[in-house]
Amino acid sequence: MSSPSPQPDSGAASGSPSEFLKNIVGKRVKVRIGSGVDYHGLLTCLDGYMNVALEETEEWAGGRKTAEYGDCFLRGNNVLYISALEDL
Amino acid sequence: MASTILPLELVDRCIGSPIWVLMKNEREFTGTLMGFDDYVNMVLKDVKEYEVTPAGITETELGQTLLNGNNIAMLIPGGQGPRA
Repeated sequence: MSSPSPQPDSGAASGSPSEFLKNIVGKRVKVRIGSGVDYHGLLTCLDGYMNVALEETEEWAGGRKTAEYGDCFLRGNNVLYISALEDL
Repeated sequence: MASTILPLELVDRCIGSPIWVLMKNEREFTGTLMGFDDYVNMVLKDVKEYEVTPAGITETELGQTLLNGNNIAMLIPGGQGPRA
C-alpha cells in the first residue's frame, strides 16, 4: 500500500468508536451522563446509539455512592462518555 | 481545488497526537486521539477531564474513553488543556 491519498474511511481504522465498542463489552466501565452523574458497572451490551446495559451498577453523584442497581439500562442520548476502568 | 482540506481530514491527521476537546458546556477533555467517526464521536486515551467553574478547575483522569460527539464544540490539535 503506497497510495499517498488520505484514508477515505477513518471509521474503519483501528481505534475507531465502533472498534472501541466491540472491545469494551464485558469490561468494567464508568459511564458519565450529561448531568455529571456516574454509573460504574460491568458493561453487558451496547449499540451504536451508545445505549448501554450495565450489571452490578453503582450510581455516583457529588463524590458519593447514591444507589446500587443489579441491572441498569442507560439511554444513549444521555451518555457523555464511556470510559474503561480496566485495560482493553 | 486539489489543495482544499475537508474539516474532518484535519481531525484525521490528528490521530495518534494530543488533542484538546471543548464541549458546549464548561467541560473540557485532553487526550491522545485514537479515532473518530462521522458524528465526531471520539476515542481518546490517557484522558484528563476538566470541569471549569468560577471556583477553579477540577481534573479527573480516565483510561481509554469513548466521548459522545453530541456536545463537542471545538477541537484544538496539540492542545494541552486549560491549565497550559
